[in-house]
Amino acid sequence: MDILPQLILNSIIAGAIYATIALGFNLIYGTAKFFDLGYGALMAVGGYSVFYFYKTLGLDLYLSILIGILITGTIGLLVYKLVYSPLRKRKSSGMVLLVAALGVLTALQAIVAILFTSQFQTLSKSAGLEKVFNILGGVITQTQLVTLAIGLVIMVTIGLVFKYTLFGKAVKAIGDDEEVSKIVGINTEKIIGWVFFIGSAIGGLAGILIGLDTGIEPAMGMSLLLKGVIACIIGGIGNVYGGVIGAFLLAFIENFGIWHISGEWKDAIAFAVLILFLLFRPHGILKK
Amino acid sequence: MEYLIHIAILISIYAILGLSLNLIVGFTGLLSVTQAAFYGIGAYTTAILLTSTGMNFFLAMIIGTIITAVCSLAIGFVLSKFRDDYYALGSFGFNVIIFSIFMNWQSLTRGPLGIPGIPRPSLFGFTFSENIWFLVLSTVLLILIYLVCRFIANSSFGRVLKAIREDEEAISAFGYRTLWYKLSIFVIGAVMASIAGSLFASYITFVDPSSFALTESIFILAMIILGGLANNKGAVIGAACLILLPEILRFVGFPDDVAAQMRQVSYGVILIFLMLYRPQGLVGEYRL
Repeated sequence: MDILPQLILNSIIAGAIYATIALGFNLIYGTAKFFDLGYGALMAVGGYSVFYFYKTLGLDLYLSILIGILITGTIGLLVYKLVYSPLRKRKSSGMVLLVAALGVLTALQAIVAILFTSQFQTLSKSAGLEKVFNILGGVITQTQLVTLAIGLVIMVTIGLVFKYTLFGKAVKAIGDDEEVSKIVGINTEKIIGWVFFIGSAIGGLAGILIGLDTGIEPAMGMSLLLKGVIACIIGGIGNVYGGVIGAFLLAFIENFGIWHISGEWKDAIAFAVLILFLLFRPHGILKK
Repeated sequence: MEYLIHIAILISIYAILGLSLNLIVGFTGLLSVTQAAFYGIGAYTTAILLTSTGMNFFLAMIIGTIITAVCSLAIGFVLSKFRDDYYALGSFGFNVIIFSIFMNWQSLTRGPLGIPGIPRPSLFGFTFSENIWFLVLSTVLLILIYLVCRFIANSSFGRVLKAIREDEEAISAFGYRTLWYKLSIFVIGAVMASIAGSLFASYITFVDPSSFALTESIFILAMIILGGLANNKGAVIGAACLILLPEILRFVGFPDDVAAQMRQVSYGVILIFLMLYRPQGLVGEYRL
């Protein structure tokens, strides 16, 4: 097996996962304008919901995934209503929201760990028996192909919704100026609630896909979330396509960066990229 | 009794960490989440020098502070280009990068295996091997650092820091070079954290990377936010509260792994409630 095609494939797969995470995160950031770190824990919530319904209760896989997505969305909405919404009404600074979000992340992760122990779990029942495709000398599994497809579908859907529907236009308007949107009669509270529901659901889906591909653990969200945030920032925060471009760029840099050194350096490489971008191109590749 | 001394030593070490971060976050308003990195540099320098060369503890501690000062000067310089949430995010990045170095520079740090067998400090032939004497040592250092912090807070230097926090543009219009002030306080805070690290390494007699991860920085931040920002007493009170809390949870009778997670839940919930109902903490003089 040649290494170069596999590296490219690995980058594309990692890029698809980061892109999905970035899409949900970007949607929330673009509307509510703060770093919702609690989003990281929601990935674990999604993964573990499927683990519970699919493996423990033995429900159908697709049904479990649907339930998992709904649960994650609902928890995201609840957190917004209970924590972020009161803070935003009080016009708290971005730092207060960031610290509160840090609290949400820490607490949710630990609750998941109490319910399901902090062991590493796999979601798929057929680990190792999966269908494998050979492309250009590299290997890609069926789950990874599905992940890639889902990432693209979500991107296109969000792009279309933003462009053509009234809801999308309202979301964009709130992102531009919340006060004025309120004045022209947009029910901002309701729309932002929906944004949190949808964004969190996308995060949950990302967690489920990762669980099906490799596996889940309660603390998985932190590093994935940071990758998603980095992808958003280097791509252009608040911009739907920017996040996706950033995700693939980040994945390629990470995977090619560790070509000659140990894979453990991936996180350090990702943050080095972030810091370089913040210094030299703080608006990212695509400006909003 | 031995148990109470153990808790008191931990509180004194964390109180030093709290005081050090309070200078940066509380007095100067820079939301830095990378204090565990400097704590780790101090701990690792001490561990490596003590185990490989048998150097005196206090000399190793001073070398640790010099290395930390150089690193924090570079990191602080890069971070000084950012503001508010981006500052926090950039500081996340440096914590992850330094953590990766502890983890992956295996020839120096032994990676995840950690460094065992670090000797206790000794001075003029007297070894602080008994915990009660170690407590005396750590308390003396805590008092010294507390006095330095109090001196900084009341000095004209400290007043400029508070002015930077309130309105950086205004104070620079008066002709103060804010960059130098921000850099100096960042380095001073980092050096104090490095001293705490030296104490920690020689008290536990073992270091491994997991003690210096991003979550540790979040923990230190939670401590000073609970105690109250911009108040030195608050930093000590916060440290005492958050060290004692898990011990109380342990007495309630949770099994060990659940207790560890309950601790995380309570930190998270404390952060959320503080942000919602009392953003200035217990005795704080500044709210984020």
